[in-house]
Amino acid sequence: MAERSQPSANYRSWPVITALTIVSLPLLLMYVYLFLDTVTVKQADALLPSGLTLDHWRFLWQTTEGKANIWQVTVNTLLFAACTTSLVLIVSSMAGYVLSRLNVPARGFFLAGVMVLHAFPSVTLIIAIFIVLQMIGLYNSLIGVILVKAAIDLPLGIWLMKGFYDTVPWEIEMAGVVDGASRFRVWRSLVLPQVKPGIMALGLFSFLSGWGEFILPQVLAPGNQVQVLSVYLAAFLADDNNYDFNMFKAVGVFYLVPVLIVYALFNKYLMNIYGGGSKG
Amino acid sequence: MKSSRTLGLVMIAPAAIMIVLFFLMPVVLTAVFSMTSMTTATGISGGVYQIAPNSLIALKSAIPDIAAEMAEPRYTIDEAGLKAVEGLGLAPGIAGELRAKHAGEVFTARRDVERMLKELADRPSTRDVKQISEQFNRSVLNTRFDSKEQLFSALDSLGFKLTPEQKETVAKVTYTGWVWTTDNFSRMTTSPDMARVLLNTVLYVALVLMLFNVGYALLLAIWTHYMPPTPASIFRGIWLLPRITPVVIYVMLWKWLAWDTGFISILMGKFGYPPKNYLLDNAYNAWFFVVLINGFIGASMGMLVFSSAMKAIPKSQFYASEVDGASRWQQIRYIILPQMRWPILFVTCYQTLSLLASFNEILLATNGGPGNATEVWALSAYHTALRNYAGNLEYGLGAAMALVLVVIGVTLSLLYLRVFNYGTLVAKPLIED
Repeated sequence: MAERSQPSANYRSWPVITALTIVSLPLLLMYVYLFLDTVTVKQADALLPSGLTLDHWRFLWQTTEGKANIWQVTVNTLLFAACTTSLVLIVSSMAGYVLSRLNVPARGFFLAGVMVLHAFPSVTLIIAIFIVLQMIGLYNSLIGVILVKAAIDLPLGIWLMKGFYDTVPWEIEMAGVVDGASRFRVWRSLVLPQVKPGIMALGLFSFLSGWGEFILPQVLAPGNQVQVLSVYLAAFLADDNNYDFNMFKAVGVFYLVPVLIVYALFNKYLMNIYGGGSKG
Repeated sequence: MKSSRTLGLVMIAPAAIMIVLFFLMPVVLTAVFSMTSMTTATGISGGVYQIAPNSLIALKSAIPDIAAEMAEPRYTIDEAGLKAVEGLGLAPGIAGELRAKHAGEVFTARRDVERMLKELADRPSTRDVKQISEQFNRSVLNTRFDSKEQLFSALDSLGFKLTPEQKETVAKVTYTGWVWTTDNFSRMTTSPDMARVLLNTVLYVALVLMLFNVGYALLLAIWTHYMPPTPASIFRGIWLLPRITPVVIYVMLWKWLAWDTGFISILMGKFGYPPKNYLLDNAYNAWFFVVLINGFIGASMGMLVFSSAMKAIPKSQFYASEVDGASRWQQIRYIILPQMRWPILFVTCYQTLSLLASFNEILLATNGGPGNATEVWALSAYHTALRNYAGNLEYGLGAAMALVLVVIGVTLSLLYLRVFNYGTLVAKPLIED
């Protein structure tokens, strides 16, 4: 992504590097200390650690009184993120294809609707969704949150997949149709492989966004049995003073590391989404 | 060959169903709920009719004499009471005589019913009279009625002579469920709290948007543009971290930085300043951090959009300007910025909506505090409807506040569709039937 981004060799770059380093310092500091604090001992008023320890990671094998088991919570988070991702992928790869290639009634309307929904303050729907889930009894169940989260991610997914399908040359499809394959067959075995980067990007985005989602599970499924990591951590965070901040940070690292790994491995694909616009 | 149309309908059905069920229906319901007085107290399903002390207070201003009467117990000689008297194990004649002579009578005072009891043939003792009269005590106070009809028939049997209008007034005041109302909207337009929240929201969106989502993002993009590829990608990577970090951890990091046991406090402690909570210390500090926290996340998207737009500027323009002796500032001013007009417009539009609807970060960082200083509209709607200090969650009012955001969102995005030329996006499908 960065190759040949330099406009010319005529300028010295160290002044900008220095400036950027200074403004990036708070961020660097926060992330470096996040990792450092989880494996070291530090005096209360010291800036530098004085020794190594694994004590802050004891939550992995010990369950705190009154809190959910960390592994249960992790499994819930994984389940939540994975189910949301698969739902979004399946549904939007089908809908995107239809909007890109097939002539269905009200296509333009649907497309405009998806655009509007995508730029829509979806978090505001949470109040109505909360009341509805209470009425139909899906409150405090993972299924309810998964469906809601997937629906909220759908407009972006459909829009993105439509964009990727648009770039597939239609000779490919023509060839398939001429050879006598059905349109469904053409989509599944000829077109779908062409949009793999899009599926990758959307899948990763969905997974990361599901993994980090906070407000939906917090409101719709706060119970201990269905708790996800973000809610688990937020409970720590809300409880202002009575906890072990370093252990809390260790839980944070435990929660963050999968994200960083996924990001490090696949950031090429992800850029497609972050560049094109997610919320925030 | 209509198969492609059928296939299209089948393939789009799951998306349509999900969007309708979990997207459109909630929007419609938000509108519906916003017209109700739903709260935790009224419940979300129907309510009952109950003459509670507070409804009597309300009745007093409307129909004072009837309200006063309702506050007093009444004594009705009815079948249920007679059965109870039979069960008391007193002389059997008492119940029989009451049933024969006095069934259906209503007494407005305990004194009257007791005088009547003493005149019975069996002449029950004073202790028994008290016991018997208690069986006929039919106060309407704190009794629950499932329907209007039950309420009215109870009032009738107790001898309250009410006109139909008075009955309706009583029913209205004593209903504990939610009702249709437009109060939420009038409350929104008149309450000074709401005005404050609105001001906060405008300030928040404007500050974050100008300073970070556009301003700082542009700066980042230009800085990394003039850098060798490796440091450029490193810095872009760093500035994407806030976006990919789950929001709970991200805010936790800021809290670690700003709390009274946090990094800034320790650092300032080295210079002799006492530790304090820089995040919630005063309104200015809270605002400073709220803007930083959201800005650092927002900067990344602008940075990516602007970077890719800058990459699209032909290199020859830069080379040519250098030959002409342009300074770096002149390059930025006359080459880069004019060609950034469109991306800047796009990012501004897009991020306005995102910022209006975002409240996760503020919720976790300051929760609207200190006081109400950093409470923005979306957060306030959330607080009103789902997490209230007072404990009574006002679903109706919260929905009305959310509806305002929905309306703004839809209006703005329709406007954007116009600006960004929707027509080119809906070109005809490549292959038709």
